[in-house]
Amino acid sequence: MKVSLKWLSEYVDVPDDLKAFCDRLDLTGTGVEGVETLGAAFQNVVTAQVVGKERHPDSDHMWVCQVDVGPWNTDDDGNPAPLQIVCGAQNFQAGDHIVTALVGAELPGDIKIKKSKLRGVASCGMNCSERELGLGDSHEGIMILPEDAPVGVPFAEYRGLSDTVLDLEITPNRPDCLSMVGMAREVGAMYREDVTLPLFELEEARNKPDAHELVTVQIDDPVRCPRYTARVIKNVKVGPSPAWLAERVTAAGARSISNVVDVTNYILFLYGQPLHAFDYDKLESPDGKVHVIVRAAEEGEKLTTLDGEERALTPDMTVIATPERAVALAGVMGGLETEITDGSTTVLLEAATFEPGRTSRTSRNLGLISESSMRYERRVDDHPIAAYADAAAALLAEVSGGVVCPGLVDEYPLPTPSRELRFRIPRFCAMMGIDIPRADIVDILERLDCQVVAPAHAEALEVVPPTDRPDLEREIDLYEEVLRLWGMDQVPPTLPASPQRVGVLTDAQKLERIVNRAMTAAGLNETTTYSFAAPDELQKLRMAPEGLGEAVELINPMSTEQSVMRQSLIPGLLRSVAYNQAHGVKNVQLYETGVVFAAREGAKQPKERRKLAAVMAGAMDEPSWNSPAVPFDFFDAKGAVESLARELAIPKLRFKALDAQEAPHLQPGRAAQVLSGGSVLGWVGEIHPLAAQAYEAEAPIAAFELDLEALGRASRPARDYRDVPQFPAVTADIAFVVDEDVTNERLMQCMASAGGKLLDEVRLFDVYRDDERVGVGKKSMAYALEFRAPDRTLTSQEVEKAQEKLVKKVCGATGAEVRA
Amino acid sequence: MAIVDELAALQAETLAAIEAAADTAALDEVRVRTVGKSGTLTAYLRNMGSVPADQKAVVGKAVNAARNAVEEALEARKTALAAAELEASIDAAAVDVTLPGRSQRLGTRHLINRVTEEICDVFLGLGYTVADGPEVETDYYNFTALNAPADHPSRSLQDTFYVVDRSGEAASVRGESDVLLRTQTSGVQVHAMEDQQLPIYIVAPGKVYRRDIADPSHLPQFTQIEGLVVDKGITFGDLKGTLDYLCKAVFGPDRRTRFRAHYFPFTEPSAEVDVSCAVCGGEGCRMCKGTGWLELLGCGMVDPNVLQMSGIDPEEYSGFAFGMGVERAACLKYNVPDLRLLLQGDMRFLRQF
Repeated sequence: MKVSLKWLSEYVDVPDDLKAFCDRLDLTGTGVEGVETLGAAFQNVVTAQVVGKERHPDSDHMWVCQVDVGPWNTDDDGNPAPLQIVCGAQNFQAGDHIVTALVGAELPGDIKIKKSKLRGVASCGMNCSERELGLGDSHEGIMILPEDAPVGVPFAEYRGLSDTVLDLEITPNRPDCLSMVGMAREVGAMYREDVTLPLFELEEARNKPDAHELVTVQIDDPVRCPRYTARVIKNVKVGPSPAWLAERVTAAGARSISNVVDVTNYILFLYGQPLHAFDYDKLESPDGKVHVIVRAAEEGEKLTTLDGEERALTPDMTVIATPERAVALAGVMGGLETEITDGSTTVLLEAATFEPGRTSRTSRNLGLISESSMRYERRVDDHPIAAYADAAAALLAEVSGGVVCPGLVDEYPLPTPSRELRFRIPRFCAMMGIDIPRADIVDILERLDCQVVAPAHAEALEVVPPTDRPDLEREIDLYEEVLRLWGMDQVPPTLPASPQRVGVLTDAQKLERIVNRAMTAAGLNETTTYSFAAPDELQKLRMAPEGLGEAVELINPMSTEQSVMRQSLIPGLLRSVAYNQAHGVKNVQLYETGVVFAAREGAKQPKERRKLAAVMAGAMDEPSWNSPAVPFDFFDAKGAVESLARELAIPKLRFKALDAQEAPHLQPGRAAQVLSGGSVLGWVGEIHPLAAQAYEAEAPIAAFELDLEALGRASRPARDYRDVPQFPAVTADIAFVVDEDVTNERLMQCMASAGGKLLDEVRLFDVYRDDERVGVGKKSMAYALEFRAPDRTLTSQEVEKAQEKLVKKVCGATGAEVRA
Repeated sequence: MAIVDELAALQAETLAAIEAAADTAALDEVRVRTVGKSGTLTAYLRNMGSVPADQKAVVGKAVNAARNAVEEALEARKTALAAAELEASIDAAAVDVTLPGRSQRLGTRHLINRVTEEICDVFLGLGYTVADGPEVETDYYNFTALNAPADHPSRSLQDTFYVVDRSGEAASVRGESDVLLRTQTSGVQVHAMEDQQLPIYIVAPGKVYRRDIADPSHLPQFTQIEGLVVDKGITFGDLKGTLDYLCKAVFGPDRRTRFRAHYFPFTEPSAEVDVSCAVCGGEGCRMCKGTGWLELLGCGMVDPNVLQMSGIDPEEYSGFAFGMGVERAACLKYNVPDLRLLLQGDMRFLRQF
């Protein structure tokens, strides 16, 4: 909403300090989005007089003028002399008062005036037309001012154009503020200033037929249209608006079109009441009358709106119609066929109110947002419509030379009842946290045009809000009004006093904090990727869909690539790997925690599972002077999972090899399921090179994806205490030569079961393959064994015996041989 | 030559050898040669039995004296040599201390989650619990229960992602679906009001979705933290004090806040909160477009309709609620120029925080 301060100050005192005024508007709920200084556009534009006019020596249509610009008169040497200006207009004479843009002026449309030569003759400025000044459409010639216009005065000053226009953000609950009188009242309440409202005197022409003889109005559905009024103005001469009217509507952000249209816009900006002017003659039915019908549009009914577009309508939309056809889209835009044209002489002026929700839908569905629809969708007050229709008719008659037919056709089937609200002062003060004086409360409400009945000493006020404030429905709404105008800044800050609260994290939240610590400690960097995915995402990733449910589909996605919700975090992470690699970053260590979605048949909402996933490509670091860069592989991802399991005290962590059928998205032979005992936590492995390729990422990429809920279920709240050893350990190294398919896990199990209580720790320290020394298809697994008893120092015989038993068991169970 | 003389000569020779030993190894050699098991001086001690009885006392005394002198000299020389050797080895071990250290490189948290956690911690400290809820919500919990009018533009297909409803129920709102990607975490608050015992002190952080094309200042997916308090005697002053405390905790103790009246369907009275501009300290600069203030969040007293819809008596209880975009707060704090950086996973960006 654009508010001219010059206009506003006709109704209420506007403070001189613009910055303070804008701040106060901001604080009380009217956001100031822009401040425009009008007249700034007219810098270096002055009133002038043509003192000499001669034909251009080399042109038939141009004139070389001497122009008196008063104090700005100067020749090349800086001596006062009229300016020489070459001008192509034909509508002026020597002696005419005109408007001249001096060198340095910047006119609308980014026209910069410079000293120039036109066909060899120097020109030191430009004589301006109305259009060049942005004041209207007239481009017939230059603007001629009255003879009494002073010479050499800034044009903005001469025309009184110096003005400041605020661009205000009006919240959707405040339709009243989409008008000058509403803003005047708001400012009056802000500063506790009185407001003077404009007055229009309507003179009806007794010699003309009554409007009721000319127009009938029929409303089919009062909900769609609670009130419709019509006035008829005859003998109208359509033409340009007077300057003051053109300026007003221009300042408010509209274009000056004609006196009739400008009046409807002026009343709209002044009162927030949209109007529509029809050409009466074009509405007339064969019986010589106009029959206005407000009805639902028919399915597929066509209407060409003022903007020249033919619109296909639906029954949800309301139209203004004659018995023959639809002539306007109610509340949104008029029809082209019945609009006012230069030849129109009789105007039917509509002032009505329409259903907000329906207007909003209509304007949105048609992509047609107008000043009218913007107001109707926020609700236009039905009560003052008659007065506004009268004001509009009076003004229209005044500026168009027309006469107003007696009578207002007023169909008013559904008046909005007024409300009576209670304002409990002690409750208000208690809820705001400050005592606001009763007198201030009453004063603020009254300045907002509320009727306040305040019985002396009573704790509650009886308040009737004004009818143009649909937002004041309940007691609490009044609280807001008083608080914001009295000043939120005056309320002292406090903290809630309740003794009944404790701040704790849930187990799931604690788990995630541990996960984040473990992941960052493992050198992984947290990221966030899109929750959206492509419908074929799992195929692209080669991931088996089992257990992931069906994808959750979006009805209105932004793109096909993002048309379902993700079922795995890995695709997003692979995209980030590819992004980094494409940008020359080869070392990528990323993790993400987030939700994956699985649709459930028969349920509104999908199953949401929180997952943890990571990808590792390249190495942890570039090679350094004291540490080589070790390329990531399966074991880096596994190591991160192991660290996490330790942090979460997950017992019986196991890794079970996954084959190509079980995990097609992983490279066979480098893929494992992660388990705690029998429960599956997720998987770890190297992404299949073909899957990496599908995401334009470079393999190898080590990765894992774990289910956070499963981790939570498997994790234990605390680890058990074990006595710190009191007695020394006996260590022994032993190497087994086994077939390739004997796993470390198998050997460890055998050693653990045979070693019994005395075997305290087993650590694999070497894996060695050599066709000659170890044998083809064999490997040597070297373990450091640590034997210890909690209560004594072990004897060498005890250790030997235990070790023998261990060797026997391992060799017997796995076919291993001890390597000498 | 008398034994005593022999001893004197041996002692002198040995002391000279000790003095001449260049390092602890050479010194040890001297020690072994003289006082070792089969050392020369040790031999005299061993042979004491064959010394005639009348000389025993004299020889014994001389042997012991020689031995004491040698051992003392050995000890002294050893200490001196050890000190010198330590010094030499220390000199040799000096490093260029400006060489990079050896460390396990730590990973980093995502900026938004780091800020989210920081804000949650502020509220944990104030006695709030952290609540969460589903990202796919029903229209009721995302809009209706929050007092959003049925025709509100934010509910349109233009602004909100709708999801295929698999329940088989007919959609009651838009003709398409009652299921959507939440546009705010307010649904969590409604669930809390319906399910939790009073009083309620919660913050609800989480991902939210709006149909905006990703550009430097918009993302279709971003993060919100909303807070809700419902208790007896909650005042607008409590709301101010709480958010003022939050801003100071997150942005620094010298930052100020201001409350601008605003409109939200969920709250009444409603306000927007600005934090004073860090660049100019409130004087007005380009960062804050000359106002001295940066818009941070929306808040207000919980609308009585909302309380009532969740079965709470607004005459007995009051409350406040607020909601802030974490991306916005993070950008204000870290001046991130392009929000899309937050979803790209660019290591060079992530590693900065």
